[in-house]
Amino acid sequence: MGTQVKDVVIKSDAPSALLLDKHADYIAAYGSKKDDYEYTLSEYLRMSGIYWGLTVMDLMGQLTRMNQQEISDFIKSCQHDCGGISASIGHDPHVLYTLSAVQILSLYDNVNVLDVDKMVEYVRGLQQEDGSFAGDKWGEIDTRFSFCAVATLALLGRLDAINMDKAVEFVLSCMNFDGGFGCRPGSESHAGQIYCCTGFLSIAGQLHQVNADLLGWWLCERQLPSGGLNGRPEKLPDVCYSWWVLASLKIIGRIHWIDKSKLRSFILACQDEETGGFADRPGDMVDPFHTLFGVAGLSLLGEGQIKDVNPVLCMPEDVLERLGLHPDLLS
Amino acid sequence: MHGRVKLKSTAQQEEEKRKEREKKLKIYVAGRDAIFTKRLEGVLDDEALQLTQQLLSSNPDFATLWNYRREILLHLETVREEDDVQKMYEAELLFLESCLKVNPKSYGSWHHRGWVSARLPRPDWARELGLCDRCLSLDDRNFHCWDYRRMVVKMSGVPVDQELQFTDRLIGSNFSNYSSWHYRSTLLPLLHPESPDPPSPCHQHSHSSPPPSPQTHSHRVCEEQLLKAVSSVSLPFSAEREEMISCVFVSREEERVAVAFSRPVNASSSGLMLVLDGQPQRVEWRSVHPHFRHSPVWICALPPGTISDIINEHNLTVHWTEKHTHRDCALYTGRSESWCRDSATDQELFRSELSVEKTSVLQSELQSCNQLLELEPQNKWCLLTIVLLMRALDPLGYERETLSHFQTLKEVDSMRSAYYGDLCSKFMIENTILKMEYAEVRVFSLSDKNLTMLCHLDQLLLVTHINLSCNQLLRLPPQFAMLQCLEVLEADDNAIENLDGLYYLPKLQEVSLKNNQISKLSDLQLLTSCPKLTCLDLRGNPVTQIANIQSELTELLPSVTDLLI
Repeated sequence: MGTQVKDVVIKSDAPSALLLDKHADYIAAYGSKKDDYEYTLSEYLRMSGIYWGLTVMDLMGQLTRMNQQEISDFIKSCQHDCGGISASIGHDPHVLYTLSAVQILSLYDNVNVLDVDKMVEYVRGLQQEDGSFAGDKWGEIDTRFSFCAVATLALLGRLDAINMDKAVEFVLSCMNFDGGFGCRPGSESHAGQIYCCTGFLSIAGQLHQVNADLLGWWLCERQLPSGGLNGRPEKLPDVCYSWWVLASLKIIGRIHWIDKSKLRSFILACQDEETGGFADRPGDMVDPFHTLFGVAGLSLLGEGQIKDVNPVLCMPEDVLERLGLHPDLLS
Repeated sequence: MHGRVKLKSTAQQEEEKRKEREKKLKIYVAGRDAIFTKRLEGVLDDEALQLTQQLLSSNPDFATLWNYRREILLHLETVREEDDVQKMYEAELLFLESCLKVNPKSYGSWHHRGWVSARLPRPDWARELGLCDRCLSLDDRNFHCWDYRRMVVKMSGVPVDQELQFTDRLIGSNFSNYSSWHYRSTLLPLLHPESPDPPSPCHQHSHSSPPPSPQTHSHRVCEEQLLKAVSSVSLPFSAEREEMISCVFVSREEERVAVAFSRPVNASSSGLMLVLDGQPQRVEWRSVHPHFRHSPVWICALPPGTISDIINEHNLTVHWTEKHTHRDCALYTGRSESWCRDSATDQELFRSELSVEKTSVLQSELQSCNQLLELEPQNKWCLLTIVLLMRALDPLGYERETLSHFQTLKEVDSMRSAYYGDLCSKFMIENTILKMEYAEVRVFSLSDKNLTMLCHLDQLLLVTHINLSCNQLLRLPPQFAMLQCLEVLEADDNAIENLDGLYYLPKLQEVSLKNNQISKLSDLQLLTSCPKLTCLDLRGNPVTQIANIQSELTELLPSVTDLLI
């Protein structure tokens, strides 16, 4: 066709086998890099970083290699008087890290080290009159926070704490002409936001409001010739979209619209044979974020060596089974 | 975390890098600790502003620092004159501009800028719009900037057509312009709220801009045409469909009522009411399958004896009180069943009604796409746009061309062949339903149509005989339970391994599933819920190879007297 498409080319010597042991070693060693520059600079998201690391270890059956006590104590010290949780000690509370904390403690079945009622009050207090959720007291509105709020409450069994109808109304007001969702009403469709909104609608029992055929088409158009997925038109592929896009497709019952074997090849090519871990694209630097989403993406594709992952909450299915949580999926 | 290339370096280079990072880390940690100490002590001074400024310049995602700055600024607001506050916030905007130059995609920076703009005694929205113009000229896909721009436009009342012209300029000068197209899709309805057929000024525009090369131009034009087709055809349709009860079916024998709605509803919260001969009835509504809390089809059982008397006529009304609509159904003397259904014109079912103007616009777009297709017969954007336009204009008339284009699409875009298979299946099912409108509503044949999936099953509530043979179906999904009147099912020669949809079908008598992929006895468990089932043909399925299958099946389904394995 002769048209230029932004994409990567996978080299013939790119990894093609799944190197789970190397990834487990990478994550197990990651937390001990306390004097690393990158590590320190990412302190503002530490709680999410721990969630990424622990979840991928659990998916690989290696959770026991992590220090549960140390992590539990750390999370406890991150709960503020208002009930919200911060990313790290000394940082301010935010709904993003409140969700990550609850996800981590759910893995350990230990949510009650926190003051759950206070946390529920914190989340309830973030809901605005139009149904949207602020991230914290400073008022940034984003559908990501709608997802964080209901996911947190779902894990705690406290969905009744918010005005669900209004919350749904706001998320639906963020639906675009292409069937996708953005941050706020009027915002462009983006795979990350789509994941948050379809996840939200699943938890809210409102998936029938999604135009699954239209959105599914937009999502399967994220697949590029390399087999990788991008987050929106004309962008480079990135392994984390193997999660955001793939999980969304799974939630709306259209995961078969992706070429699975080409995607699998792309994800495997993003591994670093030397250090372990996954990078955003082949040849780049690895990090725990992309490692989780690479492994989780492979799980959704049916990789036998990896535990089943829940597409709504990005947690092992057996953990949600224990909690009795079965968010809706479209067939 | 994104886009950091892994570079190979020598041991010495590694050591040098390590030393430098150690140094940077020390400075950073010292700054961070100083800030945290001050904050803990409740200090809100200029030094804290200095320190946070240093750290935020290189790490604008450190959200807590923006919070601290806001606390300090809010405090200073209380102890300074308005002019000084103005200056203070303008300095903040200048600082933010430098942050955005380094990292134009930081949520923290953009949110803080919005916060500052709202607190400025005298905001300068023109300057903010100018900032957006510059930022978008560097990267017109920066959604943070677009969102900020939308806020500025709202706060300062920039007219819609001015913003439309802005998008025109961007679209004309740039190839990666999806963000502009998206923005247009939100602006056009504002300009034409009453008219369902907004004019497309960009239609003329894309022809007037000089093409850099024939291939890229046609690719872009077709992609744009597709976006236009999607926004003007697909999404508005779903919003436009009238909410109503599309069908009511009553059966004396089963003493039940089945109701089909124009969209999925939750009966328990929709205010569904059944009135029989003027008397409201106390009934329990259930959806056709426990899987669905929201369903287009609901069923209820009538109190025993209320309508079984065939010598009497009965009048039923189903009320959908939430939407202030209802449907009547008369059950005549001597009739064992009755239904009431709209003679739905095809325009209401699957596509919007088109005005004369819109039809003509779509026809000329179809014409230009067809011309482009002659130049580039493998251009998938072109093919898909043509298919969508043909569906909107004349789904039955263009059926042959549609099938041919789908064949081409599966070849030129094989990664998405499953999508094209499903989409084509949907269109073939729609066409068969449309033809059904002019013929018999109770016998429905979809055999040999390359179907990869089933949909619109809510339209088949009245169907008694269905033929799905010779397709590529993998299962009968839970939605299949909407075929509440089904008596005969033919589904031979597929790849069916799952029968979830054969759930409590009260009239189902004959099922033929020859040459499918039923492999376990448990796959057939649900058939026990169909009380009238007497004929079952399972020849050519893996399950027939199981030892003792004949006796196992006889035990599972004793009323099936005609069993073929």
